[in-house]
Amino acid sequence: MSDQTNGDPLARLGTDAETGETMIELQELTKRFPGQETPAVDRLSLSIPKGEIVVFVGPSGCGKTTSLKMINRIIEPSSGHIIIDGEDVTDIDPNHLRRRIGYVIQQIGLFPHIRIAENVATVPHLLGWDKDRTRERVDELLDVVGLPPEQYRERFPKELSGGQRQRVGVARALAADPPVLLMDEPFGAIDPITRTRLQNEFLRLQTELQKTICFVTHDIDEAIKMGDRIAILQEGSRVAQFATPEEILTHPANDFVEDFVGTGATLKRLKLTRVKEVEPTEALTGRVDEDRETLRQRFDASDWTAMLLLDRENKPLRWLRGPDLRQQDRPLEKAGVRTRALVEPQATLSDALEEMLLGAAGVAIVVDRRGAYRGLLDIDAIITTIQTMKDAQAEYYRAAKLADPEDEVPA
Amino acid sequence: MTFFTEYLADPRTRDALFEQTLEHIYLTAVPVGMAVVIGLFLGILAHRSPQLRSPILSVVSTFLTIPSLALFAILIPIVGIGATPAIIALTLYALLPIVRNTVSGLFSVDRAVVESAKGMGMSATMRLWKIELPNAWPVMLAGVRVATLLTIGIAAIAALVGGPGLGQEIFTGIRRIPATGSLESLLGGTLFIVILAVLFDLFYLAIGRLTIPRGIRE
Repeated sequence: MSDQTNGDPLARLGTDAETGETMIELQELTKRFPGQETPAVDRLSLSIPKGEIVVFVGPSGCGKTTSLKMINRIIEPSSGHIIIDGEDVTDIDPNHLRRRIGYVIQQIGLFPHIRIAENVATVPHLLGWDKDRTRERVDELLDVVGLPPEQYRERFPKELSGGQRQRVGVARALAADPPVLLMDEPFGAIDPITRTRLQNEFLRLQTELQKTICFVTHDIDEAIKMGDRIAILQEGSRVAQFATPEEILTHPANDFVEDFVGTGATLKRLKLTRVKEVEPTEALTGRVDEDRETLRQRFDASDWTAMLLLDRENKPLRWLRGPDLRQQDRPLEKAGVRTRALVEPQATLSDALEEMLLGAAGVAIVVDRRGAYRGLLDIDAIITTIQTMKDAQAEYYRAAKLADPEDEVPA
Repeated sequence: MTFFTEYLADPRTRDALFEQTLEHIYLTAVPVGMAVVIGLFLGILAHRSPQLRSPILSVVSTFLTIPSLALFAILIPIVGIGATPAIIALTLYALLPIVRNTVSGLFSVDRAVVESAKGMGMSATMRLWKIELPNAWPVMLAGVRVATLLTIGIAAIAALVGGPGLGQEIFTGIRRIPATGSLESLLGGTLFIVILAVLFDLFYLAIGRLTIPRGIRE
């Protein structure tokens, strides 16, 4: 009612967040390749909200990559419009457009003849940044993607592993701090273990960066894990469903989506829940700089069968059992068994479950990004989560049955 | 055999051979230099334009099939005798390896590298100079090297149309067979051509070391 509320920037911020500002708007985007009867992309219209990861997923040949590459006009659209942050960019100089959009592709495409630092500095150079600013930015980014600059700056791409190259690829795309990032199967050519790690790191990064990201994959599991929203595309880039992963798993819009998501929806939903969303339990811990006798007394007073030994930075070191604490012959950091199954809060429950099964201990140790101990996650917590999901799904189908008694209800 | 004791020991022969070697270097370097400029242009054009690719490659291949003596002779009525017809003919011969390797060098650049350069917002010209040519360079340099060795050999025939170079010594020898000293002249000219070829090869080795970025060296 008062005039002051209208001008309050915080109030406005609140409204923006609620309505979800659109960052990229695709209007009737169409691509016809010469000599082909049916268009590869047929009138694709989609609004991509600011700060979200939107995943284009679909079977091969559905036009998802073509759709993505039309956003930075690596492929020029035959008709339709692309609007980025309110500006129609369909006809502006593509080179200037591309400098404002980060681009990461599966094959990475680092420039093999120049050093890592120069690779990352590509867009800053194009934008005419001065040397100091560029160098600072390059070091900052290499740090962000987990490659210590003093160690990697002067290397050449061929001296890096696939996972490290993809990190450089991401750093290079982020160099000029573009608001929009296009990623075409960025983790597709990387071994599964590194892929999971890169996915988690990237999600953690995104919580800080809040970029608007278009992400293409053919892997529905990756889509569920990475996407704030998923666009499931059919041939000709027709949108079969555009919704949150939760929504797609619980309410698939049609048979195509249901088939594509496939069986094991419950297991997939483990990929939706992050470790940080589950309350970790406390372990019995002891620090390596504590006296062995103190640790033993604490252990004996508890009903735990093992104690988690932490180093001076609270990083998990060993699991110690009673005899390990009583024997004096070995230093603490060599006693017991090595800790395994470490998961970060950003990891999914599916990752955690896998780690638990690998570690065969039935528990995973939750650590923060510096590797310091945060708590324990045991297999019961995961089972409880699965049960909750199943209940929710059963509830949904029960409601669906009530609405339409003719419908067959899957068991 | 008096090759070393008399022929090479004679200061007059040594001076003549030295002078002809310098001429031969000139007769190699100028055509190769011109072929590099023209070949680079044609090679880039052939890489860019699928329509022009096969005509360009056919024409430069055809040059190499014309017997050198015939080509020199054809040029004499147009440009006269001496170094000029030789330089023109040798330029045409040197084109094929240079154009070929420029094209295949540019094609050997990983498409993903070029696409990511495009995605970063580099213009076509920048992509060519900063990404494509540096990465194609080892293959292109190999082409220039082959062109140079080819030219050193064919340049000897230029002597037949009054051209300069070590070919003069060789043909002097051939004309005087079986007179004494003819074989020495023949061998002398040939030996210096071989030495020249080895030196040029070492030169290209050094150029490669200096100009091929460490990131793409074998």
